[in-house]
Amino acid sequence: MERLITKLTEKHVLFTASFVIRLALVAYGDYQDKTMVVKYTDIDYHVFTDAARFITEGQSPYNRSTYRYTPLLAWLLTPNIYLSMVFGKILFIVCDVLSGLLIYKILLLKGLGTEAALRVCSLWLLNPLPIGVSSRGNAESILAALVLGTLLCMEARHLMWGAILYALSVHMKIYPVTYALPIALSLRTTETRSEDKKGIKSLMRFIRSFLNRELFLFASVAAGVFCMLTALFYYMYGWEFLHETYLYHLTRRDIRHNFSPYFYMLYLTADSGWSQWLGLAAFLPQLILLLVASWAFHSDLSFCCFLHTAIFVSFNKVCTSQYFLWYLCLLPLVIPHLSLSLKQGVGLLILWFAGQGLWLGPAYFLEFEGYNTFLWIWLAGLLFLIINSFILMQIVSHYKPTQTPQRLKVE
Amino acid sequence: MYFVLVSVLACLASCHCFIERDEKNENHCGLLQHWIESSLVSMEIIKRGFHREVEITVELSPDVHSAVRVLLLHRWPRGVYVDPYQLASLSDLSDWKIILDSTIDLEGPAHKTTGFVTFVYPTPDGTTPTLLKVTIPIHGRYHEPSFVGETFTSVEIEPPELLLWTEKCVPLNNVEPHDVMEAPCTHHNSSSCQWVKQQHQQKEQGPVSVQFPVGDGSLCGPVCGGTLLVTMLCCVALSKHMWEHRII
Repeated sequence: MERLITKLTEKHVLFTASFVIRLALVAYGDYQDKTMVVKYTDIDYHVFTDAARFITEGQSPYNRSTYRYTPLLAWLLTPNIYLSMVFGKILFIVCDVLSGLLIYKILLLKGLGTEAALRVCSLWLLNPLPIGVSSRGNAESILAALVLGTLLCMEARHLMWGAILYALSVHMKIYPVTYALPIALSLRTTETRSEDKKGIKSLMRFIRSFLNRELFLFASVAAGVFCMLTALFYYMYGWEFLHETYLYHLTRRDIRHNFSPYFYMLYLTADSGWSQWLGLAAFLPQLILLLVASWAFHSDLSFCCFLHTAIFVSFNKVCTSQYFLWYLCLLPLVIPHLSLSLKQGVGLLILWFAGQGLWLGPAYFLEFEGYNTFLWIWLAGLLFLIINSFILMQIVSHYKPTQTPQRLKVE
Repeated sequence: MYFVLVSVLACLASCHCFIERDEKNENHCGLLQHWIESSLVSMEIIKRGFHREVEITVELSPDVHSAVRVLLLHRWPRGVYVDPYQLASLSDLSDWKIILDSTIDLEGPAHKTTGFVTFVYPTPDGTTPTLLKVTIPIHGRYHEPSFVGETFTSVEIEPPELLLWTEKCVPLNNVEPHDVMEAPCTHHNSSSCQWVKQQHQQKEQGPVSVQFPVGDGSLCGPVCGGTLLVTMLCCVALSKHMWEHRII
């Protein structure tokens, strides 16, 4: 009984403390914004608030230049105008702590002990990166909560809720659409490999394995919710909604410097005839890796989604530091199964930060000092990709799923 | 007879009034001409990189009336832009107000955008000190890569044009050789006024050149080749590794 109480207290202490830390930073951020030249609040928060203001005036949120999100977000933030500017930040930090709770629940479902689960989810709850991001007013925590909610429902086999949350996450940001393949592969009917026939019969059997009640339920609910939301907002805001929320991100060719290894290539070829072909060539590695990852790891959905997101971000044509949170929120689900030693883990973390640092240096000199460091930024971007690939390979090598599926390792 | 006399006297009286008003008008317009001729505008661009600040100093004649309004008309080239949202948050802290003539594309490269015009009101509340300072934050756009080996591109920024207006010199006439220009009366942009523009020859300063780094177009081949090679190698290595460690 006492041990139970201790455990409960610990859990409550952890979650309360992480909420209080975030709340304190929101309060501090408000103070800094009012008194100092350098603002604490992220520019995105002002974009969301301006868009919400347009909604309260009966106009389209897309009247706000650079608002490239779902209208749902601006609607959610209308209390910023009616109640207080700080409402949005409170919502984001609540979603952030909720993400921690979802990580905890998923870990428990996967068979981890309470204490271990709490320790792992403290890696998210007490991590300065998500604390900083959500208290500065970025909406990434809403998406993290939606994706983790989807994974929790899939783990607990609540397929309808999983489908609804999945549709909401795809509606908010496009990248979760890549999870469709591993989800479909994990929901299909698995058969015993008694017959090892090749050819058309095996292909037919493979296709038929996708036709089952669970997959049909998930697909129809997810597609239904997504189409409903799309239709509703298209009716309200027209073509601009489709363009700013989806098409812009799909066709985005940001030639300004960012972490992507493709940045310099796209900048130099922006107006040339090769631009389209190069864009396609840049898409191929992403596609190949996502297909391989889906097939190789679909039986462990959390790990597969983590790999998907990390691959998507690292090989994307545009990559900013906000994108890192997309896979960092899934890392705590992977960590308990890693057989890396603490030294190895810290080593990989330092390597990851070093890769970013090597990029940030020349980028700072370009943007704020006016030196021509384009070549260095390009090389640093390539190095960062190599580092990310190496880290992912290390994670894959040292991942030990606790379930019965066997690991195949070719000696 | 008396009627004729009275009407002639009335006519003379009203003529005298008009002449007096005209004289007063001419006096004020003369003063305006004098003020605009004796005012100085200087511009300095500080900071480095893609985010700069344009410091404009206006020295007005010491005998300038408080009823005179000042307007700085700035024609910006397409190589730079101002962030209207940044300006909106700055206007709470500063005593000058600004309006733009068009919507600004915050993300487009220079060759796909156009220049724009800003109207800066250094003293929107009507008081006119003789020394005015305005600092406008500007941002450089990305430019087309250079295929001739140049590492920087120049953007020429002209100093602003000084315009003065006073309600006592309306309608504006006899302010030659200065031009008269129509522009918004205040930053509220609700009405138009006739402003006197300082002549070009009077400007102390020519355009200021600002340098921004540009990509090296001659490296296009090696950069494309190098990028595609590294990304494909990473793709192959990672795919192979994932396949070898796949979970059945």
